[in-house]
Amino acid sequence: MSNATLPAGARDPGYPTERENYLTNSSGILSWMFTLDHKRIGLMYLIGVMSAFAVGGLLALAIRLHLLDPNGWMFSGAEANNIYNQVFTLHGAIMVFLFIIPSIPAALGNFLVPVMLGAKDVGFPRLNLSSFYLWVFGALFFVTALFSSGLDTGWTFYTPYSTTTDTSVILATLGAFILGFSSIFTGLNFIVTINTMRPPGMTWFKMPLFLWATYATSIIQVLATPVLGITLLLLIAERTMHIGIFDPEFNGDPVTYQHFFWFYSHPAVYIMILPAFGIISELISVHSHKHIFGYRFIAYSSIAIALLGFLVWGHHMFTAGMSSLTTIVFSALTFTVSVPSAIKVFNWLATMYKGSISLTTPMCYAISFIFLFTIGGLTGLFLGTLATDLHLHDTYFVVAHFHYVMVGGTLIAFLGGVFHWWPKMVGKLYNETHGRIASLLVFLGFNGTFLPQFVLGSRGMPRRYATYDPEFAFLHQLSTFGALLLGMGLLYAFIVLMVSLVKGRRAPANPWGGVTLEWQCTSPPPYYNFERPPVVGDPYDFHNLEWDAENERYVTTEPERKLVPESTPEEVPAHAGGQK
Amino acid sequence: MTFPTLLADTNADFWFPIQGSSFAEEVDWVYDLILYISLAFFVPMMAFMVWCLFKYIKARGTKAESQISHHTTLELTWSIGPSVLLVWMFVQGSISFLDMRTPPEGSYDIGVQAFKWGWNMDYGNGTFHPELHIVKDEPTKLSMRSTDVIHSLFVPAFRAKKDIVPGRYNYMWFKPTVASEQISDEALAKLKKQSEGATWDYDKVHTIQTEDGERELQVTPEGYTFFDLYCTEYCGKNHSEMQTVVVVHETQSELEAWIKANSSRGDVSMEEWGELLYARRGCSGCHSVDGSKLVGPSFLDLFGSQHALATGENQLVDENYVRESIIAPKAKVVAGYQPVMPSYKGQLSDDDIASIIAYLKSISANAPSQPAGAEAESEEESAE
Repeated sequence: MSNATLPAGARDPGYPTERENYLTNSSGILSWMFTLDHKRIGLMYLIGVMSAFAVGGLLALAIRLHLLDPNGWMFSGAEANNIYNQVFTLHGAIMVFLFIIPSIPAALGNFLVPVMLGAKDVGFPRLNLSSFYLWVFGALFFVTALFSSGLDTGWTFYTPYSTTTDTSVILATLGAFILGFSSIFTGLNFIVTINTMRPPGMTWFKMPLFLWATYATSIIQVLATPVLGITLLLLIAERTMHIGIFDPEFNGDPVTYQHFFWFYSHPAVYIMILPAFGIISELISVHSHKHIFGYRFIAYSSIAIALLGFLVWGHHMFTAGMSSLTTIVFSALTFTVSVPSAIKVFNWLATMYKGSISLTTPMCYAISFIFLFTIGGLTGLFLGTLATDLHLHDTYFVVAHFHYVMVGGTLIAFLGGVFHWWPKMVGKLYNETHGRIASLLVFLGFNGTFLPQFVLGSRGMPRRYATYDPEFAFLHQLSTFGALLLGMGLLYAFIVLMVSLVKGRRAPANPWGGVTLEWQCTSPPPYYNFERPPVVGDPYDFHNLEWDAENERYVTTEPERKLVPESTPEEVPAHAGGQK
Repeated sequence: MTFPTLLADTNADFWFPIQGSSFAEEVDWVYDLILYISLAFFVPMMAFMVWCLFKYIKARGTKAESQISHHTTLELTWSIGPSVLLVWMFVQGSISFLDMRTPPEGSYDIGVQAFKWGWNMDYGNGTFHPELHIVKDEPTKLSMRSTDVIHSLFVPAFRAKKDIVPGRYNYMWFKPTVASEQISDEALAKLKKQSEGATWDYDKVHTIQTEDGERELQVTPEGYTFFDLYCTEYCGKNHSEMQTVVVVHETQSELEAWIKANSSRGDVSMEEWGELLYARRGCSGCHSVDGSKLVGPSFLDLFGSQHALATGENQLVDENYVRESIIAPKAKVVAGYQPVMPSYKGQLSDDDIASIIAYLKSISANAPSQPAGAEAESEEESAE
């Protein structure tokens, strides 16, 4: 096939010159440290969160290796239990505060939000850079805590244990406090950017779903994170001045701490998973080359999750001794939040139906996301139901459940997103075969690690145990072997990306056939993104894309829009049958 | 309702430990209800996804067959339809939950004291024991308190769990339906002989000859089979070792006999009883007998020695000081240690305290005028 088969007027932005390319338009370490370019900040975030993930992942492997034997295999001696406790605490704290929360919104979001909006940058570029530095400082606090006297409270810092232990609780909580501000700054920036900087023609319901998800996430970040800040400051005050709010020895109530903590940390679960939903909506639609099914339902369900997410924190405390009425009300509210998540999964499946699916690496991750997240969501029902929760609470069932959501959900979506936008971010294509093999290894390793843990939990194995009864040994060993496979898969995926930097082919502007705006600028984008705000239409209308086999890229056949569409919006909205 | 029972039974072996209380059947039934509803969604959804992959993976550049963007009726159906099932789960779960939260009138009441890292069950009249002993088919209520951080009491076989929060009492209850078995005295004597000198290992699986042939059993030092009882709220270093056992007696009189046998020293020697209390009442969690420094000072060679207190004074460890330290531990704290020990006031009888003092003397080289036998024992201890 040659270019002749392409319709006349096919457009492609070509490649950036070295002068335009955001990676090369200025050089030197200072040009990165003081950059205000959202793409460079996003890339620095990406390196940061990946390093944090590597540390947290190695700690996870240490946990699994220790649990190879009922009496503990990895660590030995009188302090074995202490070391184990510190390792699982740091694994949790690093993964939550340094990796999952900033992973998609701060790393990918920073890169994508302005480009998807056809804007030159985020609303407040300096605030954006400062949020990255706050992340670095927060991370330094965690590292310092790690190398001073460790931290052994669990990532939840439950009182009164956290007010009495000798370890570096104050350092770590200050770290989390600072990271909270980093998160608030990012959220604030995105809210402002999305509200004010949409290009001509991009109404709210013409936004890519990734932006809807980012917007919903940002709302939670701005509203919930301050509560975490207050909680952690109160915890520090309790520890240093004994103000008597959380510690029963000074007439405080430890359950109050749990209410405070989960009022942030449950919405934080949605900070972690909502952006993942956004990525999957993009991935499924683009790689199925079909209009996303039920755009409005997906968009609204993101907002619904963001709001309902604020009402269900009590389900972390069903066994703590709240009144029966409170407990039942929280159980009912918890069930409501499962509905919007289910809607999204149904819509993704319907999007694949009658599509033209390309089984690319990002699509492999999207498919494993649907599989794993569905398990994660459904197992949540066992924990939202009171009778079964009393049995399963604080067992490995919970561990398996939230790993299916956080790892099977967020991490897999993050990987899918990184593989999807990698050509755009660095301008190189990676080896698809190896990318797919890695995604298969990750999928198998993940299930090998966490499926046995459901059974461990329902059979009564409590979580956060450094040693355990011998009857659980077999399932623990299965889980450890799964974790080793998972680790290898992740390393493989990382190598595939790194090799692409050196040996990868130059990426075209639109390697997958996406319609959202980031595919309309070069790969990598020029430092200014777009010369002027582009005029846009439906982000999931694939009619005007053609595959250019000769150059292995997708090209646009639609003439460039120069004007805002003249037609006025229908008075009757689309879901009521107003638009065709 | 035969249908649900059938469901629970078929999976009992894979998903769950033995059904040991009246809650177990209910909880397992609700679990299976959710499991089968979930599978009824999960399997078709995944089958559909895999089918789509087989059917619609196309060469690059192929246009999709359809560009349909929404179907409001369909979407409303799958948004609202499954809610009925969610309501069913919620209602079933809440009904069972209310049963599990409300102890019946006249339940048998046992006090539970949780501490880092052990359990102390209060059977009344000054009888304490780390094991939980209860009666089959008798609703039993636990009134629980913690002396330090949050703990949580979990008996998987009973499907029952409740946090124990310091500064308040938390309650839970259950009705055990399966009694523990007791192995024969000869078999027990044999096991005792095997484990002589070491602490009893509850988790060790013994092959025991019973009336039903050879069986693999875990037993208590008194020869009872048991259910595991775990702490499930992270509480620090030895959280994973904060375990004890539940023994279910066939009748009330059996339990009473057991309580009586464990209520006071009886005709054992004071040193032996003191050593037993040391192991049983949680001293061993913080005070070693081999000289190593734990949360508190070691008991080895303690009695008769001079202590530097946190206030700077020196204190001779004599009978009165030991007694004071048990009843009011925070009054005179040894330099280099935190004032974290809970008071045992009212929980140890005079005879118990005297026995502990006798035991401390027996393992101290500094104790004045020791009987010869005790000295030999002390050397044995330090050799370990």
